[in-house]
Amino acid sequence: MDGPIQRIMVYVDGTEESITAAEYAIALSLRTGAQLTAAFIVNTRALSQLRKARIFLDTEAEEYRRDIERDADRYLELVRNLAQSKGLDIHTIARSGNVHEEMKRLVKEEKTDLLCIGDIGGIRSRRDELYDETDRTFRSAPCSVLVVRDPDRVAEIFESIQ
Amino acid sequence: MDLTELITEDVVKIPLVSKTKPAVLRELVEILDGAGRIYDPERVYQALLSREELGSTGLEAGIAIPHCKCDAVSDITIAVGVAPEGVDFDSIDGDPSHLFFLVVAAPGQSASHIQVLSEIGELSQSQSYVRRLAQAQSPTEFVRLFSE
Repeated sequence: MDGPIQRIMVYVDGTEESITAAEYAIALSLRTGAQLTAAFIVNTRALSQLRKARIFLDTEAEEYRRDIERDADRYLELVRNLAQSKGLDIHTIARSGNVHEEMKRLVKEEKTDLLCIGDIGGIRSRRDELYDETDRTFRSAPCSVLVVRDPDRVAEIFESIQ
Repeated sequence: MDLTELITEDVVKIPLVSKTKPAVLRELVEILDGAGRIYDPERVYQALLSREELGSTGLEAGIAIPHCKCDAVSDITIAVGVAPEGVDFDSIDGDPSHLFFLVVAAPGQSASHIQVLSEIGELSQSQSYVRRLAQAQSPTEFVRLFSE
């Protein structure tokens, strides 16, 4: 395996956009021969903030943390199955913490050449710039980033893989 | 998660007419029902009451963020209400609440739910912004201010 893209990572957060990104990353990995890793970050920073702001009770924060850990397993399993359905074995990683900072760390640790993320849409307000984790991951990633758009086209591409 | 897509004029009510905590919750649920965003208003209302029994979601500086998980919604949804005269919502600081963000998410949407609550929580840190939102005279003005 050679070429500019040897390791691809896709950021999965359970949204439809991130699953579309995963499908595209699978297609790209198959075409380039790059190793693919799917990553899900449990946003424990947000949970801590919600607890600190007293929006969440301690028991509630714990319940949500468990929910999201289950979501992480579920969505990473979904992406693994999507890849396997096309004959591709992928690596999956679930971590906890501040999403964009953990992603930045993971990209470096895994020596990622290309990070695929779902569509981040337009910035409609200053809040989006400050708090949207996909957007912050896009802006802070220490590697090239591919923003995957056009879910219909991606579905066509994915389905056409033999 | 784009809050401006969730907070549209049809889910904003100014002023709220209710004067008590249960009535405010009911009125906020009715907003969502009227906008066609929930399947079963009573179940949402009961889920909110159950959550409030564990501890009030009335925060400081006149803002309250009642929330719950409930399978009577298919997607995360928000209702906003402004009560210019304030309502006793058992808030942390004991002051009346003026600005209400009701957030309901389906089970299985915990990540999005947390992100939405977190974003609203962040904006509640700015007392001047909360004050401006609470002084909005109409849903149109509120949505415009919120989009800034």
